Amino acid sequence: MRVQIDFYSYFKDLTGCARAFAALPPGSTIADLLRHLYVRFPKLAPMQRATLIAVGVEYQKPDYMLQDGDEVALFPPVQGG
Amino acid sequence: MKRELVLTTSRIDEATLLEQRTMSRGMGAVVCFVGVVRVDEAGQAIAALEYETFQPMAQHQFARLFDELEKRWPVESVRLVHRLGVVPVNEPSLWVEIIAPHRGEAFAACQFLIDEMKRVVPIWKKPVAYTSLTTPQ
Repeated sequence: MRVQIDFYSYFKDLTGCARAFAALPPGSTIADLLRHLYVRFPKLAPMQRATLIAVGVEYQKPDYMLQDGDEVALFPPVQGG
Repeated sequence: MKRELVLTTSRIDEATLLEQRTMSRGMGAVVCFVGVVRVDEAGQAIAALEYETFQPMAQHQFARLFDELEKRWPVESVRLVHRLGVVPVNEPSLWVEIIAPHRGEAFAACQFLIDEMKRVVPIWKKPVAYTSLTTPQ
């Protein structure tokens, strides 16, 4: 399956892109995707504890099972106001 | 509950927002909060803050917060404007208005909304140094 990953804030600087795609085996979770991304974008790995994850417009946890075509967003803690 | 959410790159026009205020005769409290960009960010003088959002998710998360606010307090109206893009020092980046029957409810609802916004709504800011706003010769 294929998922889209959008990066926000300084995560775009760490990855060098605003958007990426990943091909994953069916049944993969967000945790699987993160392992894939930390290899592909090593500068993201130190941010593990400060990474928020959404699928669509909802926050999700690492055990969330991804579906083909999911749009995943990765970003640092929010800072509105 | 009346809800109004504006995410905009335009300057926040407080006078116009105040002119547009409507409230019923049973309402006794209007709490209005304005967040303004400070000159210092993490100990350094800045010229501005640049705000970025993931807009569909921000709108969804604000809607959830408005739902929660409506459940907790008898609020008649909530209006929130958050500016995006470059906001110079001394200009408002956030404007919130809560209208409720009594001040306790209005203050509590306003505090809740801003605290939760800073926790869940995907908006980020980065400092803009003075040199970044200087036009090259």
